[in-house]
Amino acid sequence: MSERGLRISGLTTSVDGNEILKGIELEVAPGSVHALMGPNGSGKSTLAFSIAGHPSYAVTGGSVTVDGEEMLGLPPDKRAKAGLFLSFQYPAAIPGVSVANFIRTARQAIHPDDLTPAKFRAMIFEKLDVLDMDAAFLSRYVNDGFSGGEKKRLEMLQLAMLAPKYAILDETDSGLDVDALRAVGNSVNALRASDAGKDIGFLIITHYPRILQHIAADRVHVMMDGRVVTSGGPELANDIERDGYDRIREEFGASVG
Amino acid sequence: MSAEPGVAARGVTKRSLDALLALHGAGAIKPGARYDALARYEELPARAIIRGGRGWKHDLAKLDLSGIVPFDRDGAELDLETLVPAARRAGVVIERFSLARERHRAEFERAFGRAFDTRDDNFASLALAFQNHGAFVHVPAGVVLEEPILIGYEAREAALFPYTLVSLGDGARVTIVERLGAASASAFVCGIVELVVGDRAHLTYVADQRTPADARLIFNRRALVGADAQLDVGLAELGGGHAVSRFRALESARGARTGVTAVFFSDGDQHVDLETETVHAAGATTSETVVRSAGTGRGQGRYLGNIKILADAHGAEASLRDDALLLSPGAHIDSVPALEIAANDVKAFHGATVGAISEEELFYAQSRGIERRAAERMIALGFFEPAVARFPTDGLRVAIRAALENKLAPAEVESSV
Repeated sequence: MSERGLRISGLTTSVDGNEILKGIELEVAPGSVHALMGPNGSGKSTLAFSIAGHPSYAVTGGSVTVDGEEMLGLPPDKRAKAGLFLSFQYPAAIPGVSVANFIRTARQAIHPDDLTPAKFRAMIFEKLDVLDMDAAFLSRYVNDGFSGGEKKRLEMLQLAMLAPKYAILDETDSGLDVDALRAVGNSVNALRASDAGKDIGFLIITHYPRILQHIAADRVHVMMDGRVVTSGGPELANDIERDGYDRIREEFGASVG
Repeated sequence: MSAEPGVAARGVTKRSLDALLALHGAGAIKPGARYDALARYEELPARAIIRGGRGWKHDLAKLDLSGIVPFDRDGAELDLETLVPAARRAGVVIERFSLARERHRAEFERAFGRAFDTRDDNFASLALAFQNHGAFVHVPAGVVLEEPILIGYEAREAALFPYTLVSLGDGARVTIVERLGAASASAFVCGIVELVVGDRAHLTYVADQRTPADARLIFNRRALVGADAQLDVGLAELGGGHAVSRFRALESARGARTGVTAVFFSDGDQHVDLETETVHAAGATTSETVVRSAGTGRGQGRYLGNIKILADAHGAEASLRDDALLLSPGAHIDSVPALEIAANDVKAFHGATVGAISEEELFYAQSRGIERRAAERMIALGFFEPAVARFPTDGLRVAIRAALENKLAPAEVESSV
């Protein structure tokens, strides 16, 4: 078996002394789309932050590897350089730093000197177009005064511009109207159809199945109380749409806060 | 008989003033006025900086000026931009201050002392007494200059006492950039800037101060803003070991508008003491003050911002926004914004923050592959940007950003990609 893939095994994480993740097992192969669903408080965002290396999330055990390289212990920027990307549920604002400058700096950090300024411009305009965004967006300060929809579009713009190996989309669909959700879906699908994006493995964290109507998932996992309790094909999302999480909760007996 | 210039005549004494006048003449300020000003300097108290302020080491009351030489034997050259012919034909005057009264008596005397009464401040009195440098700029009524006028002062071994007098006739418009540098690491500069803005005129004035790390600087700047006139002032206090910068605008007539933008960044052992005050003395006047500062190393800073709205200033609108960023545990910035409002129907706002870079911003940037140090630099530069963006001309904004960037962990430059 090849080493390629985003592999999470036995991952345990504590926040303020409380164990939130209790041994996560997940594997995302290149080019595949995995959905991670679960009720509020099940630990989905904690998993996303633990993988990305947020300093407030203390990983107490297990392993996270990107194509065989261990991520735990690395600072967040090294993980990004190794190929990880996290689309934030609540992205931070960086006043005074323009979107263009921020993305250019990030692109340069992850893929040094691979694009001339002209090619960078052409690329970012193309991605803006797919996202239905105006060029004026580029001169605004990063997430400063952005609406919820604009913040998520900017996350997708960065995803497309940074072309990581594995992308974790944390509740990218939350708070989006229909148009914004469609734009997000179009952006991800356009990226997956491109040479630079066809091998990206996706872990789409979501509370509701509706984003999966725009981005087709190969596998669906359900997380409860810090564990992945069940996994299945796309039909599992439909079951959740129909029955909510109650049936799964009954079946697996997880205690959910 | 005066002392041998430059040898015995040290300090800010009557004897050294004698020597200055013997060497250079009185110029635009009459000897009597100079001796009176020196007497006031000796009588007036120095306003002490924060008493017991954490880490504050400079006390103006204890400032030792006994070692300074208050004149340059050769007479340091003032770097004044020459006028384009069209501006000269339109009657625009740019003149060395010492020659201004003699050559442009009417214009000079109409403006001199109108915006600045030096009698209430000891260091302004000192600057007047020993004035040995300076520039006079006059833009006649209705004349609009598109190109900025540059005034460059450079302090050398001798102390520099510059006087910048700017006068705009009604409806005139100009941008003036005053650059202060120093060839001597231990320079002492004590200056006056007086800005007289005629009705409906628009003056943009920038002080761009980037002197070496041991320089001591005290600047008093005051402006008089006429009816429906606009004054935009930018203060970039990015150099010096101890920099005192005080600005006051008096909006004396209806519809006057003032914008004040200031940035400082105390690094190493630098102390910056900034004060701004806008006085709304007439109706429908507006002011907007934006201050961004940062401290790193053992840098210290104080900002005292005051908005005064007098009883007759009906319909005045004022805002003051001051944010400070602390980048090291040894740095300290005090921020004291204040509003004094004596009129009822006004809109006034002030807000101040002092804080560090947020971990959430850092994590966000790092999660995009940007190394922590580089992320800190980026976020800190971005923090200044809303203020920097208010400065005129691309060249100036680029230079200010570069000066700020230099203060952000310069040793890391080689290691960052």
